[in-house]
Amino acid sequence: MSDVRLGTLLERARDGDRDSLHELVRELNPVLWRVARGQGLTAEDAADVVQTSWLELLRRLHEIRTPRAVTAWLITATRREAWHRQQRGRRDLPDGAIALDGLADPGPPPDQRLLTDERDRVLWSHFARLSQRCRELLGIVAQVARPDYSAIAEAYGMPHGSIGPTRGRCLAKLREMLLSDPAWGA
Amino acid sequence: MDPVDAEILQRIARFDPPPADLDERVLFAIDLGSLEAEVAHLAEETLAGSGARAAGERTRTITFDADSRSVMITVVERPDNLVRIDGWLAPGAALQVDLRQPEPAPLRTVTADATGRFVFDEVPHGLAQLLVHGDNGDARVVTPSLVL
Repeated sequence: MSDVRLGTLLERARDGDRDSLHELVRELNPVLWRVARGQGLTAEDAADVVQTSWLELLRRLHEIRTPRAVTAWLITATRREAWHRQQRGRRDLPDGAIALDGLADPGPPPDQRLLTDERDRVLWSHFARLSQRCRELLGIVAQVARPDYSAIAEAYGMPHGSIGPTRGRCLAKLREMLLSDPAWGA
Repeated sequence: MDPVDAEILQRIARFDPPPADLDERVLFAIDLGSLEAEVAHLAEETLAGSGARAAGERTRTITFDADSRSVMITVVERPDNLVRIDGWLAPGAALQVDLRQPEPAPLRTVTADATGRFVFDEVPHGLAQLLVHGDNGDARVVTPSLVL
């Protein structure tokens, strides 16, 4: 989605147009989901954190002026809330509940059996060996056709202009591992 | 971007997709009449009851913290496949509490007693959200949606 479109939606949402707000949610949810999961949250916690970020955004909608700012604000809020949730840990779960709840995400997917496609399985095995930063970054940029690098940089406290090159290095590394794996082929 | 990179990113995007109901949960939660409410963050959740999950014995206790107030609820399974919500506001106050569920379920409203206790009974399973009204200028407090 273009900055212009995002900006229009933001403006209309601020004026109380629910449809525009809903479209913003649908547009940005996949990225926020990845951000929360990238912090190692279970699926249930991640879903909760994402909606908490949206509720917080509503209170501050009038302060946020640009499309870039709304993306960065939501990613930052999601990371922060995910981090707090993570710190609280799983201390409140009774015996056995951890297994039921699904393990925290070391990187997707949680269940190898879901990978019926052989190339997915091979890709996953190499992806899992990348650094945490690479997994998070590739997971996020894979969700959007034209990632807003400056918003991601802001939210992750990385220098502006470093996201593109970092993404390039992470992707190159993964690609190298894949191309030298006969199971990936081609 | 060449086809190899494109394929890699496409496949990564399909790993661990958001749950099918994520949009629905968010849209429900933010469709409050008014936006001016303090957000209560989920602070703690505990499950209790028999391991066999016998009906009527399984309870779930959830605590939400907002700046001005905490909301603790215990969700008790009833034998008839409905639930009862025993709630408690801290600090306690006789405030109006709303339970929202997706349309066409009507909004339920109760008033907590002076110690902050309130009850919603015969509540169907599904998405729900609590809204605690303010008093004398206190902010309203809203919880994220939860699946009962």
